Amino acid sequence: MKIISMDVMSSGVIAYFVVIAARQGVFTPILGDTPRTNYADPVPQAVILTAIVIGFSIQALMLVGAIKLARNNPTLEIHEIEKSDLV
Amino acid sequence: MTTLTLIWIVLPFMVGFIIYLLPKGDRYLALMGAVASALYVIPLFVQQTPINLQLLDNFGVTLVLDPLAGFFILTNALVTAAVIIYCWRSDRTAFFYAQVILLHGSVNAAFACSDFISLYVALEVISIATFLLIAYPRSDRSIWIGLRYLFVSNVAMLFYLIGAVLVYKATHSFTFSGLRVSPPEAIALIFLGLLAKGGIFISGLWLPLTHAESESPVSALMSGVVVKAGVLPLLRCALLIEEIDPIVRIFGVSTALLGVSFAVFEKDTKRLLAFSTVSQMGFILAAPAVGGFYALTHGLVKASLFLTVSKLPSRNFKELQQQSIPTNIWINLVIAGFSISGFPMLAGFGAKILTLKNVFSWQDVGMNVAAVGTTIAFAKFIFLPHQSAVEAQPAKSKTDFWVAIAILLGGLFVANIVYYEAYSLENVVKPLVTIAIGWLAYWLILRRSVVNLPVIFEEFDNLIGVMGLILVLLFWMAVS
Repeated sequence: MKIISMDVMSSGVIAYFVVIAARQGVFTPILGDTPRTNYADPVPQAVILTAIVIGFSIQALMLVGAIKLARNNPTLEIHEIEKSDLV
Repeated sequence: MTTLTLIWIVLPFMVGFIIYLLPKGDRYLALMGAVASALYVIPLFVQQTPINLQLLDNFGVTLVLDPLAGFFILTNALVTAAVIIYCWRSDRTAFFYAQVILLHGSVNAAFACSDFISLYVALEVISIATFLLIAYPRSDRSIWIGLRYLFVSNVAMLFYLIGAVLVYKATHSFTFSGLRVSPPEAIALIFLGLLAKGGIFISGLWLPLTHAESESPVSALMSGVVVKAGVLPLLRCALLIEEIDPIVRIFGVSTALLGVSFAVFEKDTKRLLAFSTVSQMGFILAAPAVGGFYALTHGLVKASLFLTVSKLPSRNFKELQQQSIPTNIWINLVIAGFSISGFPMLAGFGAKILTLKNVFSWQDVGMNVAAVGTTIAFAKFIFLPHQSAVEAQPAKSKTDFWVAIAILLGGLFVANIVYYEAYSLENVVKPLVTIAIGWLAYWLILRRSVVNLPVIFEEFDNLIGVMGLILVLLFWMAVS
């Protein structure tokens, strides 16, 4: 559940990056026949692409960990798992 | 020098991948990678002028390498080398060594870069490599500790990312200096990410459990270098922009006090070391200009302590006081404990004097209290009973251990020379008095007292919740 909510968080961040990029316009910044001025800013988009990939790989890693944990703690309740760690 | 820098950044990653291809030579390759970055540091100290690199045009990666980063990189190289040697004869697979050297490379990258996005990438690679190292034993407990670490750091990095885009919005670049003109919420968000990563103040309370429960070599790496990846950017920001400097200093003092107050009452050796890491991060932040040297000494001491503690028969101080430990291990503990308490003749002394000289007057009281607390905490190690016990362990695994320790502790003695001006009468007397007070307090009060501090802040849900609170706090600090 928490992993999913983290995913939602990261989607929010990604959406925010896209909004920032589109502040000046929504057109793809590629030179074409029709001259335009309201191009979207490519830099945040390029940056967030990296972040998406990283977020995705971390997501995958965490789910693998959760699968492993689920074998012995089928409910995956944090309090149950943590009980032995914090005395 | 530019090419050399680029090769140095890429080398650990290359080595990491080559290890997968040639698993036979894993140890040698990994050690070579660590030694290479130790050698790279030398010209940095000789030149004294910072190298600024701007790769790939205006929005590209920017790197800054100066003596401040040099200290951090040297710490990283020494600790990694020591850890690899420590594990030399253990039956760890090539995977472990590959992760160690990848971690080394990403930490190096985090130290070198000076824009928010490269830093983000480096920090995320660190998170992943650390997670894999923590989860290396594949036990349920280690996986959970690793997941917890990954979750906390990833959430922190998401906040950081929002901060980074706010900086971009204000200045159209991602460089650190852009923080000057950016809105307070950007500062708050970015700092939250870095504070959580660096294990500082309440948002850093994920650290004790993680560091204490992972395997000793891994905790040595984490405590020695990984947390510093979050600290160096904070130092850089504080040095670049005066308005941020007080915020960083306030956090430094409060972290030092918080960590030390937990450490004093701790009954478990590894947890004590972990809490002491929290407080030492505070010392580094308290005086941004000279934090590098302190980071070097702390990294060496903490790594050697973690490695040494793993050789003790028990982790509980109560049990350790009943049985005696071998004298040679005890001597390690004493040297490291003395250095961290600031005893003359060791590097910790110079570092502590340098830090205490560079703090403002309002910080002075807090830092001195924290210094006394540190001596109290490490008095527990120094006053353990010891005897020259019969050697039960096989000799071959011991040589690795001793070589690793020799690198770390030898580094302490050598680093001592860096700041030899510290040796004036007044400076020598002061730490001795501090140590005396600390030990006195230890013998009179703390030896008998039993105080159980609440662990509620270390629970997982609360970690995330506290992060939000710190965010609000940071925002108001940035506004004012």
